[in-house]
Amino acid sequence: MIRNLTELYQYRALLLALSMRELKARYRASVLGFFWTFLNPTLNMLVYVLVFGMVMRSAVPNYAYYLFTGLLPWIFFSSSLLGGTSSISDRKDLLTKVRFPAQVLPATVVLTNLINFLLSLPLLLGLGLFFGVTPTWHMVFLVPVLLVQTFFTLALTYLFAALNVAFRDLQHIVGNLVQMAFFLTPVLWDLKSAPAVGSLTREQSQQLLMHVNPMASVMAAWRDIFYEQRIPNWQPLLSVAAISLVLMWISSNVFERRREEFAELV
Amino acid sequence: MSTDAIVLNNVFKSFKKTSKRNESTTMKTELVRLLKFQRRLVEPATHIEALKGIDLRIPQGSTVGIIGRNGSGKSTLLKLMTGIYSPTTGTIDVQGRISALLELGAGFHPDFTGRENILINGIILGMSRAELKERTPGIIEFAELGDFIDEPVRTYSSGMFMRLAFAVATHVDPDVLIVDEILAVGDEHFSRKSQTKMNEFRTSGKTIVLVTHDLATVQNWCSAAVWIDGGRVRMYGHSADVVNEYRRAVNAAENEGQKTGHSALDQPGLALPSRVQVEDKAPLGSVSAVRLKDGRGAAQQAFRADAPLTIEVDWSVREKAKVKFGLDLIASDGRLLLSTGWSGGELSGAGTARVELARLGLGGGVYELLLSAAGNDETVKNPFRVALHVAPTDGVGPLRPELRWSL
Repeated sequence: MIRNLTELYQYRALLLALSMRELKARYRASVLGFFWTFLNPTLNMLVYVLVFGMVMRSAVPNYAYYLFTGLLPWIFFSSSLLGGTSSISDRKDLLTKVRFPAQVLPATVVLTNLINFLLSLPLLLGLGLFFGVTPTWHMVFLVPVLLVQTFFTLALTYLFAALNVAFRDLQHIVGNLVQMAFFLTPVLWDLKSAPAVGSLTREQSQQLLMHVNPMASVMAAWRDIFYEQRIPNWQPLLSVAAISLVLMWISSNVFERRREEFAELV
Repeated sequence: MSTDAIVLNNVFKSFKKTSKRNESTTMKTELVRLLKFQRRLVEPATHIEALKGIDLRIPQGSTVGIIGRNGSGKSTLLKLMTGIYSPTTGTIDVQGRISALLELGAGFHPDFTGRENILINGIILGMSRAELKERTPGIIEFAELGDFIDEPVRTYSSGMFMRLAFAVATHVDPDVLIVDEILAVGDEHFSRKSQTKMNEFRTSGKTIVLVTHDLATVQNWCSAAVWIDGGRVRMYGHSADVVNEYRRAVNAAENEGQKTGHSALDQPGLALPSRVQVEDKAPLGSVSAVRLKDGRGAAQQAFRADAPLTIEVDWSVREKAKVKFGLDLIASDGRLLLSTGWSGGELSGAGTARVELARLGLGGGVYELLLSAAGNDETVKNPFRVALHVAPTDGVGPLRPELRWSL
């Protein structure tokens, strides 16, 4: 794992250059160009606000803002995973023609989406101001929460990217997995409104969700920072960090074991 | 000069047969296998051995051509040298920075300008940002794109695309350059220019490994050649010898095909038959040592252009045979300058043969002498190689006749 990450650091020039290119390439041929960074999540949010805020009448105050505080980090997570899964298997041109460090490819996808997320933060703050939510000093917790989420996303993307080279079925199923995770994560809905499951009480089922879904904990932290404006609960975050560490260790091992066959299988 | 740029030690490379793989490996079968706690089945039948034990030493500064028929394992060998593949067993050592021209323009993005693509392609090929900054003007100049350098690459003609890609790849300044069939880039003018660039690489002491089906290029341009056949090194030696042997084997296989209706050529990758299995037998005649001496009979390392040279060749034959001695002189760029032989008649045992040159007549530089002793017209497979250093003279070029200016 250490080796994997240090190698990634060694290739940072490549990683940066590729990410910059991805960012530039994404909107190069379009008329609105870079504005799509803001437009895409906004339109996305408007759809959800229409369905859940107006049709289903969510009880959460400032629902549009509430939704946005969860949607932006979720887009970072889901886009990374969706794009990252096929990041290695799609780059036959690079892997079979030059000596190329494969681990840069999934990392590029994650970094690109991370930058996109950071760029759309002003939009979030702007929307907050529109609803009368002034940013508070709790914003500083953005750094640790973002670190944890990035690490978790990177570990999962590595795993999916490495496995997808041999099992292409993964890239078809990952979309559905992400969609399912989306509904199992309190992005559209409030954790407190989660119903009781089976013989568990409401609190217990909410606890269970926090335990089995690391993104639920991360999402709660984002809401703490931007919506509730309080110090995030550090215990679940710490456990997500620990899970990410274990996941990264597993991913790195899988990646190491499989990377020799990447050039042959893509 | 004696160090090796690339050393391959007993390299095997096998691939999983993908057709079988797709049948048997899906998420479901893997899951079932996992649930049954079964280890992954290793079936030797589903593997293809592309390379079957390659031992190869490529000396620094040499230009080596790799030839062989389709499917013989040439490209696999190149990919192993480059580090794209890793060997199944065996080791590969490469000294210095390696740059591969396996495909030009790897990672080029059509929507980006030539200048932007130089940056990304250069980084992919292993240049640092600082190096790139320094070399970009040279690359742009070499590619001869003019104002097009700031246009998106998708607007380029294929020739422009190739020129740009070639320019970036050759400006990496590698110690070892690996080339796969791409010497003919662009029009006549650019093709000459890239030839000049490749010659520049050669004269500056870079190692070049080249895979090509253009045998003339190998013969004229490479100092040595490797013939890969059926995943093994069939022959490694002076390029002209290897090319001739290869041509002969292909001719023989074609003739056989005409006679019998089928031949080794029908199946890709199959080894060509050797005439008889002579190749595997030890040669009759051999050269065990060569000494270079000056006019007074003293052993020398370097010679003057107008000095006499005596070459002493220690030869031996395994049995009584008609021995033919051979002498090849090769310039540092691989050009054959002289190939001559002398029949020594019926000989047996061992002895020393002598070649006397009254005057060397060579320009300054390093040459290679190949001495051989062949019995009963056998082909020479392993001549004795010795370097001949000639002190610099006032002129340029390999030829140094006795000349006198006057008015």
